[in-house]
Amino acid sequence: MVDVDAFKTEIAPPRKIHPKVEEMKTTGKLFLTNKLALVGFTITSFYFILAILDAIYPQYLGVANDSTYLSWVPGGTPTTIQPSQLLSPSLTPAGGWMFILGTTFYNMPIFPAMLAALKFDLGYSLAIVMIGGGIGVVIGVISGYMGGIVDEVMMRVTDIFFSVPFLVLAIAFLFVFGHVLSSVVYALIIIWWPIYARLTRGQALSTKAMNYVESARAAGSSKLRNIFVHVLPNVLSPVYVQFSLDLGTIVLIFSTLDFLGIVNGNPNVPELGSLIVAQGNGLSWLIAGYWWPAIIPGIFLLIFTISINLMGDGLRDVLDPKLRR
Amino acid sequence: MELRYFILRRILVIIPTIIGLTILVFLIMWAIPFDQLIAPYIHQKGLSRAQATLVVEQQLGFYKNDPVLTYLFYLRDLFSGNWGIMFGSASPYNGPVINAIEIFLPNTIQLAIGAVIVSMAISIPVGTYIGSRPNSLGDQFGRVFSLAGYAMPGFWLAYLLIYLFAKNTGILLPVVPWGGNGLNGYYSSGHLVPWIPIQVNGHPVSDLTSYPTHVLLIDSLLNGNIYWFTKAVEYLILPVLTLTYGILAGLLRFIRAGMVDSINQEYVKTARAKGVPEKTIIKRHVRKNALIPTVTVLGLLVAGLLGGAVAVEFVFGYYGIGYLTVLSAEDLQVWAVMGTTIVFGIVLVIANLVVDVVYAYLDPRIRY
Amino acid sequence: MFLTPNLGGKRLAEINKENIQVRVRVDNLRTRFFTSKGIVKAIDNLSLNLLEGETYGIVGESGSGKSVTATSIMDLIPDPPGRITRGSIFIDGFNILSGYDKHVRIIAKSETNVKFRRRKRLIRKHNYIISGIRGKKIAMVFQEPFLSLNPVLTIGEQIEEAILLHSRVSIANSIIRRETMARKDVEKFVEGILAQPDISTRKKMINRWVNEFGVPDIERSLNDLFENSTDDSFITEEAFALAEAEKTGINLDQIYTARGYFDLLDRLHETNLQLIEAEATGNEEAVQRFRDEEHELKSALFKEYFSYSIQRRFLKRVYEKPFKDVARRRAIELLDLVNIAGSERVLDSYPHELSGGMQQRSMIAMALSSNPRILIADEPTTSLDVTTQAQILELFKDISRESNMSILFITHDLAVVAEMCNRVGVMYGGNLVEEGTVSSMFKDAKHPYTTGLMNSIPRAERRFDKSQRLESIPGTVPNLITPPSGCRFHPRCKFKMDICSEKKPKLVEIEQGHKVACFLYSDEIEEEIPDDFYVVPKNEETEEKLFNEAEGVTQ
Repeated sequence: MVDVDAFKTEIAPPRKIHPKVEEMKTTGKLFLTNKLALVGFTITSFYFILAILDAIYPQYLGVANDSTYLSWVPGGTPTTIQPSQLLSPSLTPAGGWMFILGTTFYNMPIFPAMLAALKFDLGYSLAIVMIGGGIGVVIGVISGYMGGIVDEVMMRVTDIFFSVPFLVLAIAFLFVFGHVLSSVVYALIIIWWPIYARLTRGQALSTKAMNYVESARAAGSSKLRNIFVHVLPNVLSPVYVQFSLDLGTIVLIFSTLDFLGIVNGNPNVPELGSLIVAQGNGLSWLIAGYWWPAIIPGIFLLIFTISINLMGDGLRDVLDPKLRR
Repeated sequence: MELRYFILRRILVIIPTIIGLTILVFLIMWAIPFDQLIAPYIHQKGLSRAQATLVVEQQLGFYKNDPVLTYLFYLRDLFSGNWGIMFGSASPYNGPVINAIEIFLPNTIQLAIGAVIVSMAISIPVGTYIGSRPNSLGDQFGRVFSLAGYAMPGFWLAYLLIYLFAKNTGILLPVVPWGGNGLNGYYSSGHLVPWIPIQVNGHPVSDLTSYPTHVLLIDSLLNGNIYWFTKAVEYLILPVLTLTYGILAGLLRFIRAGMVDSINQEYVKTARAKGVPEKTIIKRHVRKNALIPTVTVLGLLVAGLLGGAVAVEFVFGYYGIGYLTVLSAEDLQVWAVMGTTIVFGIVLVIANLVVDVVYAYLDPRIRY
Repeated sequence: MFLTPNLGGKRLAEINKENIQVRVRVDNLRTRFFTSKGIVKAIDNLSLNLLEGETYGIVGESGSGKSVTATSIMDLIPDPPGRITRGSIFIDGFNILSGYDKHVRIIAKSETNVKFRRRKRLIRKHNYIISGIRGKKIAMVFQEPFLSLNPVLTIGEQIEEAILLHSRVSIANSIIRRETMARKDVEKFVEGILAQPDISTRKKMINRWVNEFGVPDIERSLNDLFENSTDDSFITEEAFALAEAEKTGINLDQIYTARGYFDLLDRLHETNLQLIEAEATGNEEAVQRFRDEEHELKSALFKEYFSYSIQRRFLKRVYEKPFKDVARRRAIELLDLVNIAGSERVLDSYPHELSGGMQQRSMIAMALSSNPRILIADEPTTSLDVTTQAQILELFKDISRESNMSILFITHDLAVVAEMCNRVGVMYGGNLVEEGTVSSMFKDAKHPYTTGLMNSIPRAERRFDKSQRLESIPGTVPNLITPPSGCRFHPRCKFKMDICSEKKPKLVEIEQGHKVACFLYSDEIEEEIPDDFYVVPKNEETEEKLFNEAEGVTQ
């Protein structure tokens, strides 16, 4: 059979811009057309800006440092407060703009407490995702590129880590490293890296077979160079998506740990989950009609997690060539 | 024939994974300082230091100074069915670990399966609808609504549902009873009291005569006891709804993506060219293709819910495996923690296996 | 493959007869794709006629718009991003695009900024109308059989679906005839057969009769019977016994109810077609009459809904079983027709279990399932290997010879065109540049593009003649987002003139049955009608262009 197409001569159109820049331009354009993702991105950045501002100028937002977090508590430090004092949250107390969203346990104003909590939550979850993700990506890309026995062992190890209930690990770490939030952070890093290892491995496997990697290998590029120069940059787009989604997930996990009483609800360690739980009073207050101590921080958290998920979904739509129009 | 080998191979792979898992967990537990391990016995049970050491070493069989032998003995016992004992102060059960798992695991399985069924019942029609109209207003609303369930902490959602629907106190529709107000009162002496404890330390609380499955829903039916059956159903509503909303987003996202993917396939064009009406195309040609991959998520969802339902179990005072895990971990009950971890591991692997087999059955293209 | 024209068993003179019906008439078709990079002008003012019983080939490079033409005729352009923005397509005299521009309003501020206002009610109605035409009057075979078959349904389920969609009433009728068959019917049939001496005619008559009476299983026994005996009463006795044994004794009430319901549905669709036609011609009286009829049918359907649809919902198996049985039998016949061996086994297998050739045969069987008069084949052999290609082409020839079907055959393979088609159209850049009978095209191609195509074919005799080299057309297929001005081919044309880049040539008939769009042969200019939805952005470049053009006019 005769194929007309086989006889046409290809003349590539002249390209003015670097293909990567052009690619990024289309990506950005596509992302901007997705309205939900744009809203998510805007709100997420707003939260980050709030957290950064709070970290740089705590005095303007009401929380100078960890100990002044409790400086509104009337009548001294928490240890001297009677349990009966806990049951008096107020929605419209006097005391200025800081008290705009009411007060929670120890008559603490909710609004500045939430901002202080946000700073901690975002900082810790960024740390976990970056360290855990970094370890996972490196291990995943190596195991995917090497293949063979290295890969098999690596995957069995991730299997094991996948099966460990993170709560058990977190609790054990609290006993090993002491009852502070940073113990939980270590535990979460250990839980988190296998996710990234799996993700990158799959990508690396398919990238490995691509022509440009093959040709680089044929040209005598070393293994290490191949992995980190040719493979790694091309496996990162799903990692970005996972990265953004995990930022929200980790904040959720923190709040759950707080609720379970695992981090001990230390009022000196402000955290959105501990604000919702309100020293174990959240639910009983709720039933009694004091809704704001549990609901307001909850909504604050919810808006953040929803918008970061919308952003992640949007990123996925844009970065995944299959979903691209 | 081939399928049998496939299953056998997968089951054989479980064993090294589980052993690795036990080593990891054992190492973690072993790393805990010994003072911490015996502290609960000293502070809460009022034993002396020497007595507490004796309890841990003799009764539990945990020798801090000799981890290798301790672990090997544990492993030997494990395969003979003796999973060690638990003897904590806060944990809801004292005795052989395997019995505790037998009582607590079915409860959570019932919750998880209930949640998966309800969420499937919601997400299949909704996913079909929004998947066939991508980027419409309904689609965006459905996505954000389901995402909200995924993006809120489970216990907070439980709070919210209780605030809205709890019997007598709910502000929206005060009809659904829940653990706290229904049977035992939520706070009695400041502690969480589990609802409908069917059997604690061997003593039945309800008036059923036998507990063959340890699932109240089934046990009451087997006993012909309608009162307890209705109670069991009533008290399942809120926890199941909470879990359902939590997993809805994942399912919906998956089904929607499947619909969008398969609606652009060539065979849909063929169906249109045959003159199949749009409705039938969606139902017969698109949805079937979109739903088959969803099976892969279901297994993982059930496995994930077993561990992920902890917070919900706590709010509703529900005796589940997550509850057992967290309380025994806080009590530093080494064998209980290891036992529950093994259960999680096995459930995960089996769920994956079942998924693979079911997937192969549903999708004619895949054969082992 | 050889390059002498073969007219698929039909003589050219037959085709040129005046009273031949036009099966598909495409007038000024214009299809656009609205992408994030700009508007793709996939088809520009394309007109063609597909006559009764002919095989019309469309050739062109990939990206020339030939597949889009086929998909447009089926109204299968994926929307979004595509849309037919202008023109009409008459299928058996009915314009499937009437009122099409009202369904979606397109507002384009610039090439990349396009908004759609969809009127969902009208689109739903259009889908209802078109789904009754597709498959029934016009069918299509696609390029990739593996992708085009649903992977999770068996071949049988997919073919039966097509049969059940369009022949429900006839299936119900055949079931009723079978169950109510009396001795009288058989007597009449036997008399008729015995009066006919010719064996092959007899066989055809027997085939028709068994299908009509829903007893195809006894066809072979009947054939044997008529071969072996001439005794009138004996044959009647035996045939009646055979037919009697075929009766299943099912509850005919259900079949009657179902037939009534399906009949109403078909009539409603027919009325809707007539209504749309009347609306298009502006015949007020007819519109009113058909509206009343539609209303009547709808209320009748509403009543029937309770007796049929609700019963069926509860007794699904009971209702569907007899229909499915008949559909399955017809599916087996269809598979036999497309030369699939072991048709029963193939019916129960999934697409991935079959070879590419078998898949394509199944696709063809599916397309033929409700005896459409028009078949569109969109590169049906491209993805197959060479021997299978030849078999499938042979199958298409058989079909066109036996059923007098009109086939629109799309391919980029000139040898296939020579083999298969009566007439051929050459497409370039979304336009038809040349059209004519196969013989005139191969002997005497006019358009520079067509001659280029012809010369790019390697031929055996050239290998020995060093002076003649294999030619290729320089350049590539134009980017249809910003197509070249004037004649779309001018940047690649050897005979380019000044006018070529300014004006667009019109497709004119220069010989009997041979049309060309080229200024070498005719000076007729086609007026370029701008897109009515499109607003040109104001920037320096366009203003400069306008200025230059204005200057040209004054000089």
